[in-house]
Amino acid sequence: MNAGWLTTALILLPVAGAIVVWVLPMRPFAVGSTALLVALAEVALWVDAVARFDFDRPGLQLDQQQSWFSDLHVSYHVGFFGFSLWLVGLTVVVLAAATGYAFWAGRERPRAYYGLMLLLTGAIVGVFVAQDLLLFYVFWEAMLIPLYFLVGVWGGAGRLRATLLFVIYTMAGSLLMLAAIIVFGLSAGTFDLVNSSTSGSDWIFLGFVAAFAVKAPIFPLHAWLPEAYRESSPEVAAVLSGVVSKVAAFGFLRIAIAKFPGPVSDFRTPILVLAACGLVYGSLLAFRAPDLRGVIAYSSLAQLGLITLGLFAVNDLGLNGAVLQMVNHGLISATLFLLAGGIERRAATGELGRLGGMARGRPALATVLMTTGVIALAVPGSAAFAGEFAILAGVFNTGWGYSVVGAVAIVLAAMYVLRLISAVLHESPGPAVSEAALDLRPAELSVLVPMVAILLVLSAWPAAITERSFASTQATAISQLRRALSNVNGTPIGTARITFHPVHVASANNVARLCKEQPPSSDEVCLEVGSGYPGLSARLP
Amino acid sequence: MIAAAWVCLFSPLTAALAITLAGNRLSRRGAGFLATSSVVVSFVAAVVAFAVLLGDSPDDRSHPSTLWSWLTAGQLDFGLRILVDPLSTFMMLIVSGVGALIVAYSIGYMDGDDEERRYFAYMALFVFSMLLLVQGGNLLMLLAGWGLVGLSSYLLIGFWHERPSAIAAAKKAFVMNAVGDATMALALFLLIQRTGSLNFEVVFPQAGSLGGWAANLVALGLLGGAVAKSAQLPLQTWLPDAMEGPTPVSALIHAATMVTAGVYLIVRTSPLFEQAPRVLELSAGLGAATLLMAGLIALVQVDIKRVIAYSTMSQIGYMFLAAGLGAYPNAMFHLMTHAFFKALLFMAAGIVIHALLGEQDMRRMGGLRRLMPLTYVAFLVGALALAGMPPFSGFFSKDSILAAALDHGWYGDVLWVVGMIGTFLTGLYAFRMLFLVFWGEPSAFVREHFHALGRGVVAYSLAWPVGILTVLAAFGGFLQFADVWTPVSNWLDPVAPPLVEATGTQEAVSSIVAVALGLAGIGTAWWIYAARRAPVPRVAALQTLFEHKFYFDELYDAAFYRPAVFLAQALGRWVERPLVFGSVRELSEGVRGLGLETRRLQTGLVRTYALAIAASLAVVTVVFVAVR
Repeated sequence: MNAGWLTTALILLPVAGAIVVWVLPMRPFAVGSTALLVALAEVALWVDAVARFDFDRPGLQLDQQQSWFSDLHVSYHVGFFGFSLWLVGLTVVVLAAATGYAFWAGRERPRAYYGLMLLLTGAIVGVFVAQDLLLFYVFWEAMLIPLYFLVGVWGGAGRLRATLLFVIYTMAGSLLMLAAIIVFGLSAGTFDLVNSSTSGSDWIFLGFVAAFAVKAPIFPLHAWLPEAYRESSPEVAAVLSGVVSKVAAFGFLRIAIAKFPGPVSDFRTPILVLAACGLVYGSLLAFRAPDLRGVIAYSSLAQLGLITLGLFAVNDLGLNGAVLQMVNHGLISATLFLLAGGIERRAATGELGRLGGMARGRPALATVLMTTGVIALAVPGSAAFAGEFAILAGVFNTGWGYSVVGAVAIVLAAMYVLRLISAVLHESPGPAVSEAALDLRPAELSVLVPMVAILLVLSAWPAAITERSFASTQATAISQLRRALSNVNGTPIGTARITFHPVHVASANNVARLCKEQPPSSDEVCLEVGSGYPGLSARLP
Repeated sequence: MIAAAWVCLFSPLTAALAITLAGNRLSRRGAGFLATSSVVVSFVAAVVAFAVLLGDSPDDRSHPSTLWSWLTAGQLDFGLRILVDPLSTFMMLIVSGVGALIVAYSIGYMDGDDEERRYFAYMALFVFSMLLLVQGGNLLMLLAGWGLVGLSSYLLIGFWHERPSAIAAAKKAFVMNAVGDATMALALFLLIQRTGSLNFEVVFPQAGSLGGWAANLVALGLLGGAVAKSAQLPLQTWLPDAMEGPTPVSALIHAATMVTAGVYLIVRTSPLFEQAPRVLELSAGLGAATLLMAGLIALVQVDIKRVIAYSTMSQIGYMFLAAGLGAYPNAMFHLMTHAFFKALLFMAAGIVIHALLGEQDMRRMGGLRRLMPLTYVAFLVGALALAGMPPFSGFFSKDSILAAALDHGWYGDVLWVVGMIGTFLTGLYAFRMLFLVFWGEPSAFVREHFHALGRGVVAYSLAWPVGILTVLAAFGGFLQFADVWTPVSNWLDPVAPPLVEATGTQEAVSSIVAVALGLAGIGTAWWIYAARRAPVPRVAALQTLFEHKFYFDELYDAAFYRPAVFLAQALGRWVERPLVFGSVRELSEGVRGLGLETRRLQTGLVRTYALAIAASLAVVTVVFVAVR
C-alpha cells in the first residue's frame, strides 16, 4: 500500500466515524464508546505514520496527490513534514482525550455531539496535512462548522454571545484569507503549496496573516477568546486553546513565513511587537482573572504571543522552539481545561475566590494539577522551559528587547500559575468546596495522566521534537552542499559559509527561481540541494 | 567514575518517583527509609567518583559525559550532560553527605505528620535537583537544576499548605527566584549568540573575546541569578519567610545547600566573571552589605529559626565577599564548614522546637541547658563555629576569607573592616540566641510544655545526624589551615585558580582581630543576656528599622507588586472590557443592520431570484475567462 494512503486515512477515518455515529441508531453508551475507539484508532494511525516517517529525509513525505480542478491546478495534495507530524500528533492525542472526557462527563444528544467531535478531528488533521491552498481553505472552514455547533449548542449560559463573537471574528479572517488564496493561486498559476514559488506581495501576505492572527489569536484581535473559552464545555475549550490555536500558528509557519520571505522581513517588527504586547498583556490579565477558565484563557493568549515571537524570529532556535512550544502548550492547556472542568463539576463554580483547600485528601488532583502547573509556568528543566528558552534565545538575535519582555513574562507566568494552584489546592477549603468532593476518578485520570506523562517525557527529552522538525533536513542539505562544493572547479573546498534562506518548506523547483530572482554575487554559487530544501546559497571562501 | 556520577544524580530522582507512584502502598516510615537510602547511595557514588578522580593527575580531572541531546536547534546542541571535576565532586560530597544526614533526621522530625510520603518525595526531588545543579556540564543543565531546586524549595516551604503564611512565603520565594532565573536566561542568550554553545569548555576559553559590555552583561545576568538564589541584596527578602517550612527543610535547603548555590555559580563561571572585574567587585560589595545588614537584623529577631536564617544570609555574604575578590577556594571552604555548622544549628534548634511542641519564640524559652544537655552541647559547638572561635570549623574558613580581603587594595580593606564588624555581630547574635534558649531558669512555658525525647526510632533518627554534624562542625576546619596545609585549595585549583593570596602576616592579623571581636561579641551577649548586668539597649528608631528588615518588603511591594496589580486592573478595565463588550455591541448592531438589508432582497418573487442567479453566473463566467 502506498504510504500516502495513511495520510488520507488519518483524515477520512474520523469523518467516516462521524457518519457512522450519525447514521446508525445506537444507544448513547455505544455512541460514546464508538467515538472513543475511533479517536484511539486515530492515535494508532498516527503512531504508524511516525514509524514510517523518515526523519533524515528532507521534503514532503507520506504524500498523495490527485488532480482536482486540473485547469486551475488545484489538486488533492496531502503529506507530512517533520513539524506537521508533531502537530497532528498533538491533535489526535488532545481530541482523543477530549472525547474520552466528554464520554465520562456525559453530553446530551450524544450522536450529534460525538459526530461533530470526530468531524472536527478530521478537519484539523486535514489543515495540517493539506499541501494545496484551496484544500487548506476547505479544511479550515470545515473546522469552523463543528466548532460553531459545539460552542453554540453545548456551551454554558452565555454561549450564544460567545458563538456570535467567535464566528464573526473568524469568518472575517477567513474571508480575507480566501481572497488572498485566490489572488495568490491565480497569480502563481497553481494552488499547490509545494510547487508554487514565493510571493513578494504585501497584501496577499496580510490577508493570510489576518486570518491566522484572529484564529490564534494575536493581541488585539482576541475579543472572542475569553467568552469562547469560558462558555464552551471544558473539552471543547481544551480543543480550542490546545489545538485550534495551533492551526493558526501552523498557518504562520507553513504559509506566511514559508511563502512570503519579503513581506515577512517588512512586517516583522510590527508583528513581533504585537506578539510581545500580547505576551505581557495576556500574562497580566491572567494574573487578575477571577476564575479558572479566565486564567487559562489569558495565559493561552500570552503563550500564542510567545509562539509567534519564535516563529517570526525566523531562525533555527526560534522556529524549533516554536514548534516544541506549540506541542507543549497544546498539551498543557488541554490538561488544564479538562482539570478545570473536573474542578467545576465538584465545586459547581470556577471562581477562584470560592475554591481552595482541595489538596487535603485529594492527592491525585493535587499531583496532576501541581505537575501540569509547574510545567505551564516553564520551571527550568521542563519541556515548556525548553520551548520558551529556545524561542527567546532565537528572538534575542532579532532584537534583545523582545527577550527582555519575554523574561518579564516568565516572572509573570510564575505569578499567575502559582496563584491558580494555591487558589484551588491550598489554605482552608473555600465555600464552594465540600468535604464530599471526590478526588479525581479513574476515568478522569485515564484521560489526564497520558497527557501529563507525555509532558514529562518531553521534559526529559525535548530534542525528540526539535531534532525532528527541521534539523534533519538542514543536516542533509548541508552535507549535500558540502559535497557539491567540493566539486566546484574540480577542487575540494575546505569550509564554506552557508547561509539559509528562511524558507524551510518550499520545493526544489523554487531554488532555480530564487537564484534567478536574487542572483548570487561573484563569490557565491547557487546550488540546488535535495528536494524540499530550497534557497541555499553558499559563499565561497 | 562517570557511571558513579550518573548513579549519584539519578538515585534520589528514582526514589522521588517511586514514592509518588507507590502512594499508600508504601508505609510512611518506608518512604522515609527509601528517601534516606537513595541519598546515601548518592553519597557513596560521590565518594567513588571522588576517589577515582583523586587517582587522576591534577591537570586531567575534568570528565564530561552526555546522556542524550536535550535541546537542539540547527547546529546548536545542548546535551543532558554532566561534568565530573574537582569542583563538582566537592559539591556532590557536601550535598549528598549533608543531605543524607538531614533526610535521616527528617524521619524522626516528621514522624506522625499526615503527609510524610509527600514530604520525602519532595526532599528526594530536591536532592536530585541540587545534584543536577552542581553536576551540570553546561549552563543549560545548570539552569535546569537551578530552576528545579527553586521548585523543590517552593514545594517544601509550602509543605504545610493549609497555613496561609506558608503558602505566601512559598510563592514569594518562587517568584523572587524566577527573577533570578530570568536574568540568568538572558545572560545565556547572549552567550549563545556570541559563542554558539553553553558547554563550559567551549564558552570559558572564548570569555576573553566577548568584549567589554557583553562580558559585563553576562556577568550581571549570572549575578542576578546568584543573589536571588543565595538571598543576597537586593533579592534577599524571601529567605526569612522561608522559615515557614519544616525545620529539616530549612537545614538542608535554606542553610546547607541551595542558598549557597550562588557562590558555586560564581566560582564555576569565574572565567566569565573575571572578564567583568567591576561586576566581580560588585558581588563582593553586595556580600559585604548583606552580611552587615543581616547581622543587624538578627539582633532583634525573636524567632529562633529566623535568627539562624539571618545568620545564614550573613554567612553567605562572607562567601560572596570571598568569591567576588577571587578567593574561590576560601569561599568554597567556608561553604563547606557553613554547611556543617549551620545544618547543625538548625537541627539542634529543631530538636528544641520538637521538645517544646512547635514553639519557636525564644522569649518563651530558657533554661533548657539542664533539660537537654546533649542538645546544648551540639548547639554550643554550632554557635562557637559560627562565631569563628578556634578550633571550631568556622574559625579556619572565615578568617581565611578576611585575610584574603587584605590582599585586594583599598576596596579589600574596606570589605575587611565590614567583615570584622560582622564578626562582632555574629558573636553577639549567636550567643544572644544561645543564652536566651539554654541559660537562665526554665520559663513557665518550658516547665509546662517540655517533654523529653525518649528512645526509639524517632529519637535515634534525630540524635545521630546531629551527633555526626557536631563532630564535623567541631573538627571540619582542620581540612585547611592558612597556607600551611591546603588540600581544599589544591583540589580546587585546576578549576578556579584564586586571584588573591594572603600572606602569613595578613592571616595572623586577621585571625587575631577576628577572634578578639568575636569574643567581644560573645562577652557582650553574656553581659546583657546571661549575666543580665545591663539592660538590653534600645534605640527605638534602629529597633524599628531592624524589625522591618530595612523596609525592603514594603519597598518592593510599592515598587513592583502594586504597579503590576494596578496595570493589570487598568488594562482589564480600560482595554479588555471595551474590546470584548464593544465588539459584542458593534457586531450585534452590524448583524441586525445586515439582516435588515438582506430582508429587502428576499422579495419572494421567483423572477428576481432567477435574474440574480443568471447575473451571478454571467459575472463568474466573465471572471473565469478573463483570468484564464
